[in-house]
Formats: sequence, C-alpha cells, structure tokens
Amino acid sequence: MERRDFFKKALTVAGTAAVGSTTTEAAQTVHPVDNRKVSDIAFPQKRPLITYSDRPPLLETPREVFTSALTPNDLFFVRWHMPIIPTYINPRTFTIHINGEVENKLKLSLKELKTKFEQVELTAVLQCGGNNRTAFKPTAGGIQWGVGAMGCAKWKGVRLKDVLKKAGLKKEAVWIGFNGEDKAVYNETANFVRELKLEGLHDDIIIAYEMNGEDLPYLNGYPVRLILPGFYSDSWIKMLSNITATKEKQKLHFMEKAYRIPDNSCECETPDSLAQKTKPIEEMNINSLIGYPVTGIKVKNDADLVVRGIAFDGGHSIKKVQLSTDGGTTWNNAKLDDGSQGKYAYRTFSYTFKPENIGSLTIICRASNEKGEEQPFAKDIKWNRGGYKYNGIDEVTVEVV
Amino acid sequence: MKTLIVILVLISSTLFAKSNTGITIPYVDFPMKEGKGMYSTKGKCNMCHSWGYTLNQGLQSKKFWREKVMKMIVVFKAPIKTQKDIDTVVNYLFENYGNGELE
Repeated sequence: MERRDFFKKALTVAGTAAVGSTTTEAAQTVHPVDNRKVSDIAFPQKRPLITYSDRPPLLETPREVFTSALTPNDLFFVRWHMPIIPTYINPRTFTIHINGEVENKLKLSLKELKTKFEQVELTAVLQCGGNNRTAFKPTAGGIQWGVGAMGCAKWKGVRLKDVLKKAGLKKEAVWIGFNGEDKAVYNETANFVRELKLEGLHDDIIIAYEMNGEDLPYLNGYPVRLILPGFYSDSWIKMLSNITATKEKQKLHFMEKAYRIPDNSCECETPDSLAQKTKPIEEMNINSLIGYPVTGIKVKNDADLVVRGIAFDGGHSIKKVQLSTDGGTTWNNAKLDDGSQGKYAYRTFSYTFKPENIGSLTIICRASNEKGEEQPFAKDIKWNRGGYKYNGIDEVTVEVV
Repeated sequence: MKTLIVILVLISSTLFAKSNTGITIPYVDFPMKEGKGMYSTKGKCNMCHSWGYTLNQGLQSKKFWREKVMKMIVVFKAPIKTQKDIDTVVNYLFENYGNGELE
C-alpha cells in the first residue's frame, strides 16, 4: 500500500459531524468507525471526549483508554435520553422513593442508603447496547457510536434486593420499574422508565453511590444509579429516584420499542424482512478491544511492540484472548491479568512481539469465554435494525517503519 | 477545643459545598446544512435537543426520517402540528441527511 493511501485509510476522521454511509454499499457488517477526534470542549467533571450531542450529552471514550482495567471517571462515556438533566442535586435532600405493590412505602435518603444496608462493592462493565453501531450496513437507527460507548468501574452501593426487602414486596408484585431525574422538555412526554421482572433479579444488582472510589460524576448519574452487571446499560438508570413495584407490565415506549432485537436464534433480520417478534437486548455479548496501538501510528521494525487491551462478556468469565497478525490464519495467546476484578469486569490483556516487515501491519484480537463462546469476524455478524450487540473481532492497523 | 471543632466543621462543610456546586453543561455548536426548510426544522427539532442528536443518526432513508419525525410527535409530543410542517421537516432531513433511498 502506498504511504499516502495508508494515511488516507487510517485517518477516517468523522469528528463531531459523524455520519454513516449509504445503503449503496454492500450490506455487510464492517468494522466500526475508528479514530474520531475528541471535542475541544470538555464537559463538567470530564476530559474532552468524542462529542455527539450536548443536549442531551452524548460522549464517547477514545480507544486508547481501553488498556486499563478501570476506566477513569473523567474519561467514562455518557449517554442520556432526556434533554433536561438536573445540574444540581443536594445530597442531603435527595430521596429515592420505593412504592407500588409494597407493604411499606420508603423514602430513602443517601445517608440511609449508606448506613442502613449492607455495603457492597463490585467491578462491572457498563456498555451501551448500540456501542459500535457504525459497524452495521445499511446504517442502523440510533447514535452512530464508534468503539467507546463503554467503560468499566468499581461500583459501591447496596443490593437492590435488600432495599426491596425493607419495603416488603407484596406477593402480587411481578415487575419493578426504575426512573431517574432526567426529564423531557414537555410535561406530556413519558419518562424514561425501565422495567425488570422480579424473578430475574439477582444479588449482584446494586444501587451505587460510588464509582471508582468517588462520587459518581453528574453525567454518569450522581448521586445514585442502578448497576446491572452483565447486561447492556439501557436499564442502568441514572440519578435513580423512583422504584415502583407493579402487578402488570407498564405500557412504556422505551420497553416496547427501544433496545430490542429479533427474537430468533441469530438475533438478526434484514431491512426487507424485519422480525415480527422482538426481545430485550439484555446480556452482553463477548467482546474485546485493542487499546494500544491505535490505527495510524508508526512503530519500529524488529522492536518489541506491546499490544494492550481489554476483554469482557456477560459474566461467564473470559478464558483467553488471542491475537493474529496474519488475518486470523495463526493465533497467539495474549497474557491475561489475574481476573481478580471479577467476572463482570474488564480482563486486561497484553501481547508482546517484534514486527518483522516494513509497511502496513494489521493486528486483530479475539476473546473466548468459559461458556465456549468466541467472537465472530465483523463480516459474519448479521444485521439488526437497532444496530445492537455488535461484537466483531477488533482490528487496528499500524505502519511499521 | 470546642472552638477548634467548630472551625474544623465549618472548614469541612465549606469544602464539601465546594465539591458539589452542581454543573453547567456547555453549549456545543452542531451546524445544520443550509437547505430548504432549515429554519422550520431548526425551530421544531432543536427546541428539545441538539442538532448533534439528529445528524449523528447517520445518513438515512426518507422512510427512516419520516418514522423518526412521527416518533417525535407521537411519543415525545413534539409540537409539529400540520402535515405541511411534517413534510417540510422530513424533506429537509432527507435532502440533507439522506442516503438516497426512499425506503
């Protein structure tokens, strides 16, 4: 490849004006858009991030952050649905209401949350269901995210189960609805309420007030948010202020229409033949990402190159991460960290080798887990209208000089 | 001793107050493409959300944009009242952020 062509290819910069491509391209899944530039404006409590919208804030983390097990709070991605977000919350008066089919309606202050329940900590990946949406062709509906609508943090809080126990769920209770403090512009617009079925709730679901040892940033849901380890983040309600138990499923746009995939074995469909039956996106697919090197950089020939990245899944434990520099003909095992952060956390990996030829070099990585699942190649991932759950084998291309 | 405690409490409460005075979300400009219906579209869409939220949906079909506009009206109660207004917005979106496909 000519040097000039290389850089043209490497620097596919979409910046803040990110747009998808047209349907005239082959309808085959590709690699997500990479190397978008961060904005020159930093949002409060954040460093400059890739910025898709300011109202509501939609911010993506750049690739190079994904070399460490925990994503720093000020680099953590941001996604809100409603444009009006409280810009000040008084921690002394903030209250979480628990109501509906309960014996005792509760109004919990932050202090009560921190003192009246067992405090628990867990590390978990928070990832938007539409992360990597730019991989899908034709362009799927929704924000055209690159690779960074995700992060991993150590969360501290209390078990949802313990809070519900204190309220005393009536036996009629089947669904639990969650709502935060973000609001639409018009009063008539329904709130962003999410529902979980009671029988699916496990002990690892927590209401968190701390993220990586600090208060949550406002844009990540200060003062408390719901943590659903192993699941995509559509129900990780931010600024959580209301929990309602109901007998019947509520009629909710965001549950009926959004964050759903075809209810078939491939979770796929075509634009001409959309699946009639859909299901919630729920558990995260196994995935991995190379944080270093990033596409477009130059590395020295015959010198150690240390590739670093992260791998994760829905909680079945990562077994191995393999790298290939020949397009997947031969694979080499990367070194994994000790896994002490737990099954819902990023597993960091590293792989050291010496590039042996001058010119363009593509490095790909593939994770597999204890359940026997393995990442597919991007081209083998089938389309869905929402562009959800992409987990194609990642690739970066460097220039060896 | 008491005075010292009072002073310490005062200091810590000021520090605490300083650490949480709320935030101000910056304005980021997402310029709209010049085209027929731009001002009408701007008035109807941007009063609720930034133009970034719209343009970062990617280039889409006319059907996609029409469905989005209808979703904004039905689900989010956007005040786009007449068929003419709906068409103006859909046409502006498709002409400037379209993929050339009607469906």
